[in-house]
Amino acid sequence: MSDFQSIHQGRLAVHVLAEPRFQTRHVSVRLVQPLRRETVTGVAVLPYLWMEGTGRLPTADAVWRKADELYGAVLRSGIGKRGDRHVLESYVAVPDEVSLAGASGLFDEAVDLALDLVTDPAHSAQGFPGRHVAREKMLHRRRIEAVFDDKVAYAFERCVEEVCRGEAAGLPRLGYVEDLDRLDGLKLWSIHEEVLQTADVHVYVVGAVPEDRGWAEALCERVSQRWPVTAGAADLGQRRPAAVQALPERGGEVQRITDRQNVNQGKLDLGFRTGVGYDSDEYPAMLMCNGVLGGFPHSKLFVNVREKASLAYYASSRLDALTGVVVVQTGIQVDLHERAMDIIMQQVKALQDGDITDDEMELTKQSLRNQYLQLMDQPVSLAEMHFVGLLGGRVRSIPEVLAAVDAVGKADVVRAAQRLRLDTVYFLRDAAEVRASAGDAV
Amino acid sequence: MQEMRYDQLRQMVCRERLNNGLEVFLLPKPGFQQVFAAFTTRYGSIDRTFRAGPDEDFTTVPDGIAHFLEHKMFESEDGDVFATFAKQGASANAFTTFDQTTYLFSCTGEVAANTETLLDFVQTPYVTDENVEKEKGIIDQEIRMYDDNPDWRSYFGLLKALYAHHPVRIDIAGTVESIQRIDKDLLHRCYRTFYHPGNMIFVAAGGFDADQLLEVIRANQAKKSFGPAPDIERKWPDEPAGAASPRTEASLSVSQPRCLIGWKDRKAGLKGRPLMEQELLTGVILDALFGRSSPLYHALIDEGLIDQQFSWEYEVTPSYGHSLVGGNTPQPDALVERVEEELARAASNGIGEEAFERSRRKALGRFVTSLDSPSHVTRSFTSYRLKEADWLATGEVLESLTLEAANERLREHFSSSQRAVSIVWPK
Repeated sequence: MSDFQSIHQGRLAVHVLAEPRFQTRHVSVRLVQPLRRETVTGVAVLPYLWMEGTGRLPTADAVWRKADELYGAVLRSGIGKRGDRHVLESYVAVPDEVSLAGASGLFDEAVDLALDLVTDPAHSAQGFPGRHVAREKMLHRRRIEAVFDDKVAYAFERCVEEVCRGEAAGLPRLGYVEDLDRLDGLKLWSIHEEVLQTADVHVYVVGAVPEDRGWAEALCERVSQRWPVTAGAADLGQRRPAAVQALPERGGEVQRITDRQNVNQGKLDLGFRTGVGYDSDEYPAMLMCNGVLGGFPHSKLFVNVREKASLAYYASSRLDALTGVVVVQTGIQVDLHERAMDIIMQQVKALQDGDITDDEMELTKQSLRNQYLQLMDQPVSLAEMHFVGLLGGRVRSIPEVLAAVDAVGKADVVRAAQRLRLDTVYFLRDAAEVRASAGDAV
Repeated sequence: MQEMRYDQLRQMVCRERLNNGLEVFLLPKPGFQQVFAAFTTRYGSIDRTFRAGPDEDFTTVPDGIAHFLEHKMFESEDGDVFATFAKQGASANAFTTFDQTTYLFSCTGEVAANTETLLDFVQTPYVTDENVEKEKGIIDQEIRMYDDNPDWRSYFGLLKALYAHHPVRIDIAGTVESIQRIDKDLLHRCYRTFYHPGNMIFVAAGGFDADQLLEVIRANQAKKSFGPAPDIERKWPDEPAGAASPRTEASLSVSQPRCLIGWKDRKAGLKGRPLMEQELLTGVILDALFGRSSPLYHALIDEGLIDQQFSWEYEVTPSYGHSLVGGNTPQPDALVERVEEELARAASNGIGEEAFERSRRKALGRFVTSLDSPSHVTRSFTSYRLKEADWLATGEVLESLTLEAANERLREHFSSSQRAVSIVWPK
C-alpha cells in the first residue's frame, strides 16, 4: 500500500491515496473546530443545513436528485467528535468511471458537490433561508432525542458523558435541545462564516485516482480557490492547534450513576480514564491491554462474563484513541448487576496483577493484526486513521502500528493495565415503582 | 471447475460442485488484503416443520432452534473455535436469518488454515446437555436486548400483522419460553437434517488464488464421509393472500413513535432471475416514490411527519415477500394517510420516466460500489444463490427493467387488502 500524499496550503490540506483496485472514489471534506459550550449546538446543525441547498442547487430535493443522477452518489454530511474537537464533514462517493458506460466526468462533479455544500450553502443577506432553518431545527431536535431509543448506544453515551464531565470532550456531539430555540438563520450564518474562516480544513480523496503529485497539487489548488480570503500565505504557520490530549487522571471517588427506564435488559457500562493518548509511546500497549480485556471473543470479558457465567449476550471493551478512555459495555439481567460488576472488576484486576497467558497475548496480537490489515481494504477507514493521527499529533501508518504492537510484552500490558482508573459506573436499569429521574446514585 | 467472467465489473467467479454435494463459489479480488468466507446452510427460522429421509411424519421443532444451533456450533471438544481463528489471524462470526444460517470468517492471512477451520467446526457438532443449558442464559439476554429495540419490535410487529401463519412472523431467536424446550437431541436432529454438504454452499471473496483455495476445500471434504443427502421436505401452513390484520401496536421506552407500513406480496413463489427482476423492479419503484429524491420525502419532512431515518425495504424469497416504508413519526396515522394518498396518485398517474431512470441509475451505481467490499460481495452472492439467482447479474437485470413494467407492478403490489401498519408508541 502506498501512503497518503499530503499537500498543505496554510490551514488547508489535501490528502490523496491512490488505490487502483477500488471501484469507488471517495471525497471527504473535514473542518476541525474546538468544542465549545457556546457554539456546540449551532456548529452541530451546520452540516445538516448545508444539505438543504447550495448556490447552484437551491433546495434539498435538488441536491438529492443531483446525487442520484451521479449514479446514486453516496452523499452525506455529519458532525463528529474527536476528543475535544468538533469535526464537520461533507462526504461524496461515486462509482469509478471505468466500471460504468457513459459515466465520465463523474468524479469532478462529485468534488464540486462536496465543496459546494461546505463553501456555498444556500443563503441570502438574512443568512440561511428561514425555511431551511425551520426544517433543520425540527430534525435536529429529533436527532438529539433519538439517542434515547437505542439503549446500547444510549448507555455508552451516558457513560462517556459522565467520565468526561467538566471537560470539552464531554460536550455532546449533537449539542443541546434547549439551545435550538435561540438559533436563527442569521446566527447560524455567522457561526458558519466563523467556522469557514478559522477551521483547519482537510480534504481526503481515496480511490482509483492518478498517483502523481501534480494531480494532487491541482486538486489542492481547486480546493484553495474555495477559501480565497483566508487560505493565503498570511496564516501559514500562524497557529498550529495543539494535538488532542488524553483526559488526565482525576482524583476522588468513583462516580456511580443509575438511570431508570422501562427496559427489559439492564446495561452496565464502566468508564476508565488511562491518561494514555494516541501520541503516547504507551499507546500500543494500551491497545493490547484493551484487546486482552474485552476487544475480541477470546478476551477476558467475553470468556468470563458471557461464556463462563452466562450473564450477558455482549460483554466487551473499547478504547477511544484520542481521549484514552476505556469503556466496558455489557447487557445483563438487572438483578444480577452486582455479580456482573464483580466479574468485570476481577478481569481488570487480573490484568493489573499480570495474570495474562501467552495465548491471550498471542491471540490479541493476531487479532489486532487482522483488524489493521483489513483496514487496508477500507478506504474510508484509512482516511479516518490518518485523520486521527493528525489530530492526535502522531500519524501512525499501519505497518508502524503492527510493528509496535508486535513489540509489546506482557510487562508493558501490565503497566498499561495499571493506568486503568475506574472513573464512572453507569447502570441503566428497569423503572422503579416510584418513578425516579436520571442521575440517582446507585 | 467452471469459470464465469464479468468483464465490465472486473470480477471472476470460479464454481464447482463437489462429490458430496457442496457448492463452492470463489470470487478472487486481486490486490485485496482481506478474505471474507461464508459457509451457509439453507436452514433458517422458518424451517420449523419438516421431514427428512425415512421420516414418516412431519416434526415441528421449538421456535428459535436454528439460531440456538448456530450458537452451539462454536463449541468444540478441543477448545474454543474463536481462539483457533484468532491464532490464525482471523475473526469469526455467524448469523441466522429466516432462511439461512451462515458461519463466516474474515482474515488477512492463512486463508487455507482458516478455511479448513471453518469447514471443520461447522461439520463437527459438539453439543452436550451442560453446554445447551449454559447457552439458554446467553440467548435469553440476546432476546431481551432485541425486545428493547424499537426497530426490531416495529419490524416483527409488522410481520405478525401481515402473516397469519407463515413462520416468518416468528422471531428468529424464538422466545424466552420457547428456547427452554430446546435440548441436545432436538439440536442433533436439526443438525443431521440441514447440515449435510448437499444443503450447503461455500462462498469466498477477496485476495486469494482461486485454484489453490479450491484444492484446499476439495481435499478437506474428501477426508470426510457424509452418507447420502437426506431428502428434506418442508411444510408451509396455508397462508391467506391478504394481510392477516390491518394494524398492530406496542409500547416501549422511546422518545417518539415509530411506524411501519407494509404490503404483503401476492406474487410469492418465484426464484432465479424472475425473483431478481421482481426484487429490483420493486426496489426502483419504492425508491422513486419514497427515496430521498422523491417529492413525497421532502413534503413529509416539511410537514414534520418524518425524519431522515425514513426508509423503504423490499424482501422476497421463494416462500414469502413484502415491502415496507416508515420510520420515526410524531403522528403515525397522518403518515399512513399521506403514504396512501401518494400511492393512489402514483397508481393513477404512473411513475414518471425521469424518476424511474434516476432510481434505476442509483441502484446501478450502488451495486458497482458495493463490489469494493469482500464482505458485501460474499453475503449478497450467498443470499441470491440460495434463491437460485446470480447477484452479479444485478446490473444486467436493472438495465432490462422497463417503466411500463414498473407501473404495472406498482398497481398490482400496493393494494389495501395487502396492507398492515405497525406502530411502537412511547411508554
